[in-house]
Amino acid sequence: MKKVNSSCIIDDDPIFVYGTKRIMKQVGFCENIYVFENGLDAITALNKMTDEGRELPKLIFLDLNMPIMNGWDFLEDFLKIPNHNREDVTIYIISSSIDPRDIERVKTYTVVSDYILKPVTPKDLHNLLVDVA
Amino acid sequence: MNTILIDHFINDAPIEIGVFDVDMNFIKCSNQWLKKMGKDIQEVKGKSYYDVFPKTSTKIKEIHSHCLKGSFSSFEGEKTILPSGKIQWLNWKINPWKTEEDKIGGLIIVSEDVTHKKNEEEYRLKAQAIAKIGGWEVNLITNNVYWTKITKAIHKVSEDFTPSLEEVINFYKKGYHRKKIITYISSAISSGTPWNAELKIVTNEGVEKWVRTIGKPEIVNDKIVRLTGTFQDIDDRKKAEIQHQETLKRLSIATKTANIGIWDFNIKKGVLSCDDSMYLLFELDRDNFSNVFEAWNSAIYEDDRKRVLNEMQESLIHEKEFNTEYRIKSSNGDIKYIKSIGDLHRDENGVPVKIVGAKWDVTEFKKAELELIKKKESFAGVFDNSAVGMALVGLDGSWLKINKSLSSSLGYTSKELMKLTFQDITHPDDLVVDLKLLQELIEGKRDGYQIEKRYFHKKGHIIYVILSVTKVSKIDGNISHFISQVVDITSRKKAENKVKSVLKITSEQNKSLTNFAHIVSHNLRSHSTNLSMLTGFLINEEDEKEKKQIVKMLSDSSESLNETITHLNEVVSVKLNVLGKLEKVNIVDVLNNVRKSIITQLNDNNVTLNVKIEKTHCVRVVPAYLDSILLNLLTNSVKYRAPDRKPIINITTRKVNNQIVLTFSDNGLGIDLDKHRDKVFGMYKTFHKHKDSKGIGLFITKNQIEAMNGRIDVESKVDKGTTFTLIFNMN
Repeated sequence: MKKVNSSCIIDDDPIFVYGTKRIMKQVGFCENIYVFENGLDAITALNKMTDEGRELPKLIFLDLNMPIMNGWDFLEDFLKIPNHNREDVTIYIISSSIDPRDIERVKTYTVVSDYILKPVTPKDLHNLLVDVA
Repeated sequence: MNTILIDHFINDAPIEIGVFDVDMNFIKCSNQWLKKMGKDIQEVKGKSYYDVFPKTSTKIKEIHSHCLKGSFSSFEGEKTILPSGKIQWLNWKINPWKTEEDKIGGLIIVSEDVTHKKNEEEYRLKAQAIAKIGGWEVNLITNNVYWTKITKAIHKVSEDFTPSLEEVINFYKKGYHRKKIITYISSAISSGTPWNAELKIVTNEGVEKWVRTIGKPEIVNDKIVRLTGTFQDIDDRKKAEIQHQETLKRLSIATKTANIGIWDFNIKKGVLSCDDSMYLLFELDRDNFSNVFEAWNSAIYEDDRKRVLNEMQESLIHEKEFNTEYRIKSSNGDIKYIKSIGDLHRDENGVPVKIVGAKWDVTEFKKAELELIKKKESFAGVFDNSAVGMALVGLDGSWLKINKSLSSSLGYTSKELMKLTFQDITHPDDLVVDLKLLQELIEGKRDGYQIEKRYFHKKGHIIYVILSVTKVSKIDGNISHFISQVVDITSRKKAENKVKSVLKITSEQNKSLTNFAHIVSHNLRSHSTNLSMLTGFLINEEDEKEKKQIVKMLSDSSESLNETITHLNEVVSVKLNVLGKLEKVNIVDVLNNVRKSIITQLNDNNVTLNVKIEKTHCVRVVPAYLDSILLNLLTNSVKYRAPDRKPIINITTRKVNNQIVLTFSDNGLGIDLDKHRDKVFGMYKTFHKHKDSKGIGLFITKNQIEAMNGRIDVESKVDKGTTFTLIFNMN
């Protein structure tokens, strides 16, 4: 199976982050995993990468409900990143919310590939890799 | 004959006779002539005729001298002017007389006074000229026609015109008139029948003219020899007569068409007469009745007969006009209303001779009138007794008439309300719309309108009504007044408002319940998924160190779950049965208690607290909620203070209507409301990195305030500070 070079998890729940990282390792998902507690930390880091001319993570797993900057606000700001290799980035929303309003809203962002309901399973990641590769 | 006898004969002759010598000197003269001259015999004897009659015309003188030569002369109608100046018409007979030697001795003149005759003739001619009566004559032996001057004038031909019989006939208008005159003339000639006819001629100038022609045959020895007659211009009279007849005919057509019966009561004879229209009007057959009165009597309603006869009697006694209405039975049994009017006619002495009148059918009119009365009565009945408020409103907005329902639903007596206009009692916010619609009604843009509006009850509270206004037009098309119908819907409106508010509450509750459900599901799910995930890891984990870490996480996760459930529980309890626990509390007291409980925290952070709360300001709240709210706001201000500033908190209150507005402002970090306005009071929404940030405080605060029917709003600027405005009810 093809590996992804680097991916990014944006979530304030440390347990979710632990679990996801563990599953990623299990399926041999990728080399580098960036983790951010909220949207603001993530967008700051991504902007910095762009400024330094480094490649953005190929995949981003984004939570919606976070303090300081939530997933929605991150998406708005992400679209404003100067067009480096942003278009190669695939974003997946990973949330506990089963609120249909959230699911509808996600569909309005073309940058978002899919909505994955927590918890993330090895099977989810497997399918996802097939899609990306 | 002896001389004396001759003398007597001349003197006493009953005629005017005179004897003259050759020199025209009087020899003898009859007394009658002398008397006419007013002279004595001695005054004229021996005197010349021409001296006695100095105005003798030359013509007479010539006749005299001619006769003196032996001729006889007789002439008629000579005008003589007497010495007295009187005009005399005389017929003269003049003879010469001869002496014994057979010589002419002089003249014997006899004159006959025909003045009287002559005058009559002149009058006759004049009369004929004025009456335009001419004469004519046809000699049937010679076939000559003679026309008098006037006859010629009527025909507009010159005086020297002499027509032939054929020409005479051709003057009559071709067709009927000409055929008629030919018939008259031929029957006069053949059977001696005279005629008297009015016919039309066409004059020489081409103008048509009515004439009366009278002809009479003259019979000599059983033979008709002449036709004589008169010829009169009757054009003016005939035209007037024709016109009169046409007028009469028109009147007759008019009365017949309008079905107007004409009647006539002869007072002297006591006879009533009628034309046929009356029988038609009464639907009776003339032949079934011996007289008009009998017919009338059979048709009229029993109840009306006596009254009408009395009225007739009255009008006769008081010599006034007659005007009545009565009912008759029509052939199909229906009632017919008859109007009858009559006018008194007097003779030249002013004595009433008859009543002439007309009668006609007024059933339709009467029916309409009765219908109208019925409508008026039923409208009045509806108006007075209706449960709906009704009013007749003048163009200026004043009441013309109001019913009981209207005044009672507005709390006034009729008298009180009549003194006001609808503008006086209308809610000012509804007046503009009402007046605008009314204006459109007046301008004819609409026939009526219906609006929901508010009136003020006499006691000041609002009465909700549905107002329907329609206009009533006068016969000339202008507006007479308006009819307003006012349905009081206050109780309905109250119920409606109640339903609306219940609906609002329900929908708000429903909305918050949905939100809550999502919050619950999200928060519980995130923990449950973590728990199941961690459990999965634990089962497969071999490494003891890793196992310990997972167990620690499991413990944290279940702790979080517990905490979440506690939060949710809190939220649920906030919303339950709040209204029963409301108490009136003094804000300053509550604030002082809260302040005391966190005095250490405030002092440690050098917080300046400026409180400007009226000591009398009390609010109706759940005391524990107010504690919690104030505590939360205070600790937030301390938690999110700006690191470079000394924290200052200002708390003030003011009273607005029946509410207390509490303003709570700090100079802390502030929140970016452009990004977060809709999340400020959301559950688990945090905006600053702080170890104690859970995103639960403001969420609970908002829920608590709203549970007490209050409100909370926020204004904030990043790095300037935040101001919360809280609204509490006093009652």
